Amino acid sequence: MHLDPFARLQSDPWFLSGLVLASVLGLAALIGPAMVPYDPHDMSFTPLAPPSAAHWLGVNDGGMDILAELLLGLRNTVAFGMSAGGLALVLAVLIGVAAAWTGGWADALIMRLADVLLAIPAVMVLIVSAAFFRPEPLSLALLLALLTWPSTAKGIRAQALVIKNRRHILASRQMGASSGRIIVRHLVPELFPLYWVGFAAKARMAMFMEATLAFLGLFDPSRKSLGLMISFALKYYYLDIWWNWLLPPVLALSLLIMAVTFLAVSLEKRFDPRLQETL
Amino acid sequence: MSLRVEQLRVVYGDRDHGLLALDGVDLELEPGRITALVGESGSGKTTLGKALMGLLPENARVGGHILLDGRPLLGFSETDSNAWRWSRIAMVFQNGAASLNPVQRILDQVAEPLVVHRGLATEQARKQAGRSLEEIGLSACFHARFPHELSGGQVQKALFAMAMILDPEVVILDEPTAALDSMTRSFMAGLIGGLRPRGKAVLLITHDLELADALGDPIVVLYLGQVMEVLRGGTLFDTPRHPYTLALGRSYPRVGALKDLGGIRGDAFYRRLHDHPAGNGAVHRPSAAADSAQEIGHRATRGCLFYPRCTQAVEECAQAPVALEAAVSGSLRCRRGGIVSRLQLEGVAKRYGPVQALAPTDLTLQAGEVLCLVGETGSGKSTLAMIAAGVLDPDQGRRRFEGRDMDQWLRRDYKSLARRIGVVYQNPAEAVSHRLCVADIVAEPLQIHGPLPDPAAAAKRVAELLAMVRLPSTQEFLKRYPHELNLGAVQRVCLARALALSPGLLVADEPTSALDPSLQAKVLKMILELQIENGLTLLFVTHDMGLTRKIADRIAVMHAGALVEIGPAAAVLNRPLHPYTRMLVNSAGTGAAPAPVRPIRPAGCAFAQRCPDAMETCWHHAPERIGADPHSHEVACRLSATELNFSHDVIDVHRQATNPIDAEGGPKG
Repeated sequence: MHLDPFARLQSDPWFLSGLVLASVLGLAALIGPAMVPYDPHDMSFTPLAPPSAAHWLGVNDGGMDILAELLLGLRNTVAFGMSAGGLALVLAVLIGVAAAWTGGWADALIMRLADVLLAIPAVMVLIVSAAFFRPEPLSLALLLALLTWPSTAKGIRAQALVIKNRRHILASRQMGASSGRIIVRHLVPELFPLYWVGFAAKARMAMFMEATLAFLGLFDPSRKSLGLMISFALKYYYLDIWWNWLLPPVLALSLLIMAVTFLAVSLEKRFDPRLQETL
Repeated sequence: MSLRVEQLRVVYGDRDHGLLALDGVDLELEPGRITALVGESGSGKTTLGKALMGLLPENARVGGHILLDGRPLLGFSETDSNAWRWSRIAMVFQNGAASLNPVQRILDQVAEPLVVHRGLATEQARKQAGRSLEEIGLSACFHARFPHELSGGQVQKALFAMAMILDPEVVILDEPTAALDSMTRSFMAGLIGGLRPRGKAVLLITHDLELADALGDPIVVLYLGQVMEVLRGGTLFDTPRHPYTLALGRSYPRVGALKDLGGIRGDAFYRRLHDHPAGNGAVHRPSAAADSAQEIGHRATRGCLFYPRCTQAVEECAQAPVALEAAVSGSLRCRRGGIVSRLQLEGVAKRYGPVQALAPTDLTLQAGEVLCLVGETGSGKSTLAMIAAGVLDPDQGRRRFEGRDMDQWLRRDYKSLARRIGVVYQNPAEAVSHRLCVADIVAEPLQIHGPLPDPAAAAKRVAELLAMVRLPSTQEFLKRYPHELNLGAVQRVCLARALALSPGLLVADEPTSALDPSLQAKVLKMILELQIENGLTLLFVTHDMGLTRKIADRIAVMHAGALVEIGPAAAVLNRPLHPYTRMLVNSAGTGAAPAPVRPIRPAGCAFAQRCPDAMETCWHHAPERIGADPHSHEVACRLSATELNFSHDVIDVHRQATNPIDAEGGPKG
């Protein structure tokens, strides 16, 4: 399994297109806001001005530059997806490995808890808590992670159970290695492919969730977001602004989800079919 | 008539630079018994012989008593000594020709004691001397020759005749068979054996351990002037109890033995008087671990003299002198009560679902031995080996490691047990993590049992280990991953890893199966070297009977999850008792098992289906469990058990052959 898992991916069109899309969007999210000369919160421009040399995508109803708004919204969405995906992955690894390693009643208990969480619709919980508590985006990402770790943790646990009984782990145990050492040095690195798959799935879901919540207006209205942009643009559907105001955030969101989906699919195809999990 | 030696102590040289040659030796020579005295050069064998003859050089100071029929022999003047010397105690000297007068004819020299001691006339004495020379096979044509005109064997015969001419009661033979060809050696052995029925008390001083084992009873093992062990005849090679005796026996090139020669680590040193606690000088404290082979053996100790070279020594061995104590048969000077058992398995069994992989099995591994576990695939070899290594827990039964309850040890302090056992797994590619490079794999046990002093020391140890298994330790190689190496190299990396902590027990499941013959030879030599230097005990699982021949001290044969035969390697291979072992040894045509004739009852012998000699009883009654006794050749077979005694005689053929003229023929002692 040590063979570089990315070697064969280089000839996979899914992976390549996903990678290109992700790079472009990631770069835009990362440095885009700094490249636009306007502050997205600056309301000093002519409302609903069409695209021009000064404002490439025009100005919205509040007199804000749409491009600046789009790039900041993209950054927020990506950041939310990454943090929720990352948190979920960390939880999944900790819980999955702990369950596999300890086994017995602790394992059974953790897995039943996972089943319960799988049965709870994360969207509903998120909408309700966002509406009632108005939390920070990061808290919401954590909440999402807390709700969505089970599917990844189950995959990690299953694979950890297999690897746990591999000869080289037994050999390490025989040499007197402590559980901590074996987990850190042998078990966690062995599970490496699963992390990509798990992270991609969770991040994609989180981005979609963020857009949904913003669209429904459950985030702070001053927080720039793709979902919020779509929601505002839709109010002016009768004007001829769909291509410069509505389309960009929809396209950005779709491409973002596509990029992550392509990556997740290709990674999953590449790694063991036994590692399937719901995308 | 008997000659008794009590607390004999001989020091050569003056008080300051004294050389302690003998230290408190007790010995009793009885009529009709041959006492064999063995030990390395410098152990004081010849000094003892000379002391009995009163022939020690002037600078020797003697303490203790030598009593002939209760009368002390020590402290008499030269003239007094002459009264008993040669007429009652005679000696065949070492280095034959040199102890004869080069300008006197043989006949005259043999006749001389008759003239001097008995006052016979020259002519009469010559006649009698001629007769005795002819009796021992030196015909008349040689009698008038000078010593340099005779062959080594003829000189030895002449010396023997000269010693026996006055019909002494006590005969001391110093290296009577050294430098003789095997025919002459057999002849001399016959002569010596012939002294027993004549009621002579014989002291046989020899390097020839096979001769000592065959003729001597008791056999006295001397090391640096101290008696280490006294054993019964015929047990020197088979059941030695002192580690020194074992190592000595392993160093001796026996015709019957199959295994390569071993040796004893380090060198014997001479004991300076001031090194010894009885002297008044300072005592060197040996450090816990010997650093180099040269150093071993050159350090004096307050405790056991063999301590620096002993592979099973513990700290307390060096603390205080050890007394010679009576043992089961003979006596023994060892703080640890003789060779310790490294691992004892009592009734361990393992079941995988409906399959009984291992029936309750006993097995004892002694410190410093190589036990080969042989048998077909699925016979439970690996299961037994992994239980022995502590990797697998048995369903039932008990394990003891170095005298401690192993299961308890595993639960309480896994780590300290882990560093005493090295394991090489059957499939090397699976046994290493493919995410670690060679350097990390070999260093893993060092890291686990760290802390390592510094990275350089760790790198040095890794390079050392890789060199042991004949792998390079270039940066390029150290950074390679297992999948970039061939299987043989991975196997050697596994072996290096198993040896990293210098374990006392190495459990190796086919550790050389992927190596080509030349590499395999080198790696096995290295393992045997560790056996000699570190007292490594090896449990070696293999299919390869040829390999077994070269490395095993003992062989255990497994079939269908049970031991069917166990014993010394030579005995098992040359004279297999179990029909299954015979199949394995003559491995031709054992591939397919005959179709089941009838189902075996759970109580029956598992081999009955395939056994060419199965009897009715074999289908109903299982053979008895074997394996607990590390000293005997046992077989789990109803048929062969009855042949056991017979076959032991056959194994002993070689021993008998060394003294064909031995008049007694029957068992000794």
